[in-house]
Amino acid sequence: MNSTTEGHRYIYRTQGVCPPEIHFEIADGILREVHFRGGGCPGNAQLVCRLIRDRSVEEVRPFLKEIQCQNQTSCPAELDRALEAALKGTLLPAQSFRIAADLWTKNRVALVGNLAGRLDVWETLRGDLKEKKVEAVYCLGNQTEPSVENGPLLKALRKDKRVMTIQGEEDWRYTRESETGPQENLNPKEIDYLKSMAQVLSFQLGAKKGLVFYGSFIQDLPGYSDYEPFALEMNLVANLTQFMEDESVFPALEAMIPQFTSGIVIFGQRKEWGRWQVGGVDFISVGSSYEDGGLSWGLLTFADAQLHFEVQSFPWTGKGEHGK
Amino acid sequence: MAEAVKVLPREIQDLMEVREWDMRTREGVNRFRELKAKSLPSIALDEQLCYESLIPGQEELAEEIRRRWGLKNG
Repeated sequence: MNSTTEGHRYIYRTQGVCPPEIHFEIADGILREVHFRGGGCPGNAQLVCRLIRDRSVEEVRPFLKEIQCQNQTSCPAELDRALEAALKGTLLPAQSFRIAADLWTKNRVALVGNLAGRLDVWETLRGDLKEKKVEAVYCLGNQTEPSVENGPLLKALRKDKRVMTIQGEEDWRYTRESETGPQENLNPKEIDYLKSMAQVLSFQLGAKKGLVFYGSFIQDLPGYSDYEPFALEMNLVANLTQFMEDESVFPALEAMIPQFTSGIVIFGQRKEWGRWQVGGVDFISVGSSYEDGGLSWGLLTFADAQLHFEVQSFPWTGKGEHGK
Repeated sequence: MAEAVKVLPREIQDLMEVREWDMRTREGVNRFRELKAKSLPSIALDEQLCYESLIPGQEELAEEIRRRWGLKNG
């Protein structure tokens, strides 16, 4: 067993069969998970996956070979090819978006958007958040802004245990550029913090499962698959509804909602506050924390078996200097 | 809706090429927007959106396909 294939998740793009992708995981030479995604016979595929899960790759492969269904191949034969490619190293482990989970059920969370390097804005908001007794703060990107000294804000966010940060497009660009030459001397801890930020955050608010992501840059990440967890929600919000701007396609959105795994979908790319309820799902657009002489954040609560959302706004002139 | 197409008689199936789009994928969503569709399921014939939400009866769909085939092939 080639050690480079151990403990990794793979996505194999099939040819000639109904499911366009096979997702699987190999750890210590054992097949931990196998899923045929996007088509085919779901019952048969599920049975095959159960039968071969937790067995060694070497034990499984002889059963998969030389089965023909259509186009001189089959789902098992494609899986065999995928396993062979993983063993040889011609199929590399999948590196899609980073998912983090807020493990504890909450009832009262704050949504903060686009701090863009502004420590002064964060410090003012933090006081208000403390007063309103929120249990967690979901900070959607962008946390950074190219023309601003970002270190102080990143340090403050990193040290606040209630804060969970979600990477924005600028933040992602920033981490890429920092590999070729940083725009400023960020502390290595802050660089690591920026690089390890979740790109998708899942959470539980009362009885509802939720998902937070910034925007469409996630779909351009190498290794992104339409069949990843939460990819359906992101695809329909970003591509179908154009971040809920095109209400004419809401009937199609509603038709797809039974396939959602999240009852709350939160995004930041639109940079303006908004809430839509379609097919029992709450869609929330998070606005910029600072705009036109005022600050704002969103209070999301679960009470009386219902989700409540309010934008908290107040006037603020600030210190006038970014990141100080 | 895909089922409505699949159950058409053989002579109608022979007149056409069928493509199904998966709305879970970006490709499917892009195609949906290209066709300016609004709801699901939808059927387009010759790049033209013909049926949305309401599944046409077999006779109605077969007749529309025959009519279009007739127009194109004299």
